[in-house]
Formats: sequence, structure tokens, C-alpha cells
Amino acid sequence: MPFSTIATPEARPVANYKMATRMEGGRLVYVSGQVAWDASGNIVGKGDVGAQARQTFRNLRQVLQAAGGDLGSLMKMTTYITRIEDRPAVAEARGEVFAGEVPASTLIVVKSLFHPDFLVEIEGVAVV
Amino acid sequence: MDRRDILAERPVEKGRGFMPGVSVAPARVLFTAGLTGRNPDGSLVPGGMAPQTRRAFERLEGVLAHAGAKFDDAVKQLVYVTDLDAYNTGGRAERAKFFGTARPASTGLVVRRLADPAMLVEVELVVDLAGSSQGKPLLEKFNAESHPGDFYQGVIVNGGRLLYLAGQIANNPDGSIAGVGDWRRQAEKVYENIGHVLRAAGATPASAVKETTWVLSIDSWRQHGAAARRAFYQGDYPASTLVEIPGLAQPEFLVEIEVIAAVA
Repeated sequence: MPFSTIATPEARPVANYKMATRMEGGRLVYVSGQVAWDASGNIVGKGDVGAQARQTFRNLRQVLQAAGGDLGSLMKMTTYITRIEDRPAVAEARGEVFAGEVPASTLIVVKSLFHPDFLVEIEGVAVV
Repeated sequence: MDRRDILAERPVEKGRGFMPGVSVAPARVLFTAGLTGRNPDGSLVPGGMAPQTRRAFERLEGVLAHAGAKFDDAVKQLVYVTDLDAYNTGGRAERAKFFGTARPASTGLVVRRLADPAMLVEVELVVDLAGSSQGKPLLEKFNAESHPGDFYQGVIVNGGRLLYLAGQIANNPDGSIAGVGDWRRQAEKVYENIGHVLRAAGATPASAVKETTWVLSIDSWRQHGAAARRAFYQGDYPASTLVEIPGLAQPEFLVEIEVIAAVA
């Protein structure tokens, strides 16, 4: 693994994610904020945050695979949602795609994303 | 250097100012602070979104030039706006003038407030720099122009290993939240946690390269949180961005801070 996981008993995560990751080699990959559009640019799951989160993870995985990695290559992931009540649906979709511990992670509720129909956007930093 | 653009030619990406991903074999990486439409004295340029966007990118251009880079070298951008319609009609075209055909990986967010209530746009970049890291200090922190803020406009990481922290919040090791409703206590606890995680990774507060501070109220943060930040960094600040948003992962969280650091 070209990165290592940092953990300490003095400061623990409040959910299933890594407290920090440290790059140890390899190539650094910056992934744009991914949203729930399909290959033609149409929104998948308009009004349905769970469907949007699943499509967003599919897109995130596609970018990582094209870079020579996969979801397991992520050092850090940042999830932006527009309504705090959407958090459980996004967490459920996240649980479906990550087999084990998820990367170092941040979740932020923003006023909106760059299109009013987008309910979730996820960006990441990976090492391959 | 050795940059590779990821999926840049997908039909859905054509004609956009960014691409899905960028990978680099990093030797020297520049992280900029979030830059805005401020003048050197801290005042905002008049005229709204277009002049603010132009000014923010002029300042970024100065930071890039200081590091020997151009917009083509940017691998990631994060654009924060408080008014999406204004950005689409007035800001986007100004950005395009600076970026030309260069396309970094990108994220755009509409937030509730930036450092100044009249501030409409803030932009931060990650930039892949040319040249060898050999013989250079691990971190070069610099300002391209004078400013009154407690941050550096750019930090160059020469070699070393990047460290990405999860967003840190005011939780105790047992999962309980420290300082519910108490900005000062949460600020202290968040920096305490950041300190623990940095130490576990072989780093110190001075190792911090970039910081993003997400708060539910910039006014409350300035009044009650800034002292904990000053005490933590002791003047050795990272490049930073301060953003007000409507919510964090749990309703009790008043502040969440993300840190990128580097160790040898």
C-alpha cells in the first residue's frame, strides 16, 4: 500500500473512517468533486439522495480505476451534502461500496452544490 | 511533474474547464490559501463578483509566480462562492481568462459566508511544481504580497510525505463531544485532537501545510476560537481557508478543521 494509516488512542474517529493517512510513495491522484451524472451528463436520481450517492460512488470509482487504482486507493474523501437529513442515506451507500474502513473523511453540509439538483458531491485524494 | 489527466476525453467532460482527475508523481507541491478579492490592506475590491473573481485570480497568479508556476500546473482547484447565479454570470468568465485551456481537477461549493460578509468568491489551488526537491527545506511558507491575516498565501512541500487528516471535531476518545454549545472549548479540543494525530504521524503543528476551517458562524469563531488557533500554531501558520456552512456531520459540532501536513 503506498500510504499508511495513522491512529492514536488519544484522538479517535467518531465513526468508521481513518483518522489520518500518510503517503509513502506512488502517484498522487486528485479527483474532482463527483456528482450523480451519467456518461451523457444527465442527473441520476433527481430528488433521491440515495440513488445520487450510489451513482456518485460509481463515478468516483471509475475515475480512480482510470488512474490505476480503486476506492481502496483513497487517502482522503470529502463528502458535501445540502441537507443534514440526507446523511444516513449517504452513509448507507458508502457502507455498500467500502468493504472495510473508509479513508480519512470529512462531511460538510453546504448551502448548495453547483447545480440545484445535486444533493451530494464527493471529492477525493488517492495514491496509486 | 509527469502529470496524467484522467478521463479528460469523456464526452461529458468536453468543453468543461476541469477534468475528472489528475495524477502526478509529486516532487514539489504547492498548496495555496483560499484567496479572495481583497486588496493588500484587507479591503474588498468594489463591484461585486466579476472584479472579486478577477482579483482573486490575480493574487493566485502572484502566488504561482512566486513558486515558479503557472495556471497550467494546477492539479486541483476548489472554488467557494456565496452566490451561484452571480458566479455563473459574472465570475466564471473571469476565471476562464486566467486558466485558458488548462483544466485541473475541480470542486465547486456554494457556502453560507466567507471571511467578509460581502465576499462572494474564494479559490484555492494545489499545484505541481517543476524542479528537484533536493537541497531544499521540506516546507517553504511564503506570502506573495502583504496581507493582515494569520496565514501564509502559499506553502511549498519539497519531497517528504503528505499527510491527510480526517476533518477533526471536538470529540473525546470515548466518543462524547467536548464543549457542547461552547465555541472556545470546541476550538481547544479540535486543536488538541489535531495535535495528537500530527504527533502520531511524526509531525508537529509547524508541519501543517494547508488548513480548512469549517464553522457554523465565522463571527463566533473569530470571537471564541481564534485564540486556540494562535496558541496552536505559535505564528508558524499553514495556508488556510475559513468557510461558514449551514451544518456539520452532527448538530453539536460547531467547528470542523481539516489539515494537510508533510513529514520528511
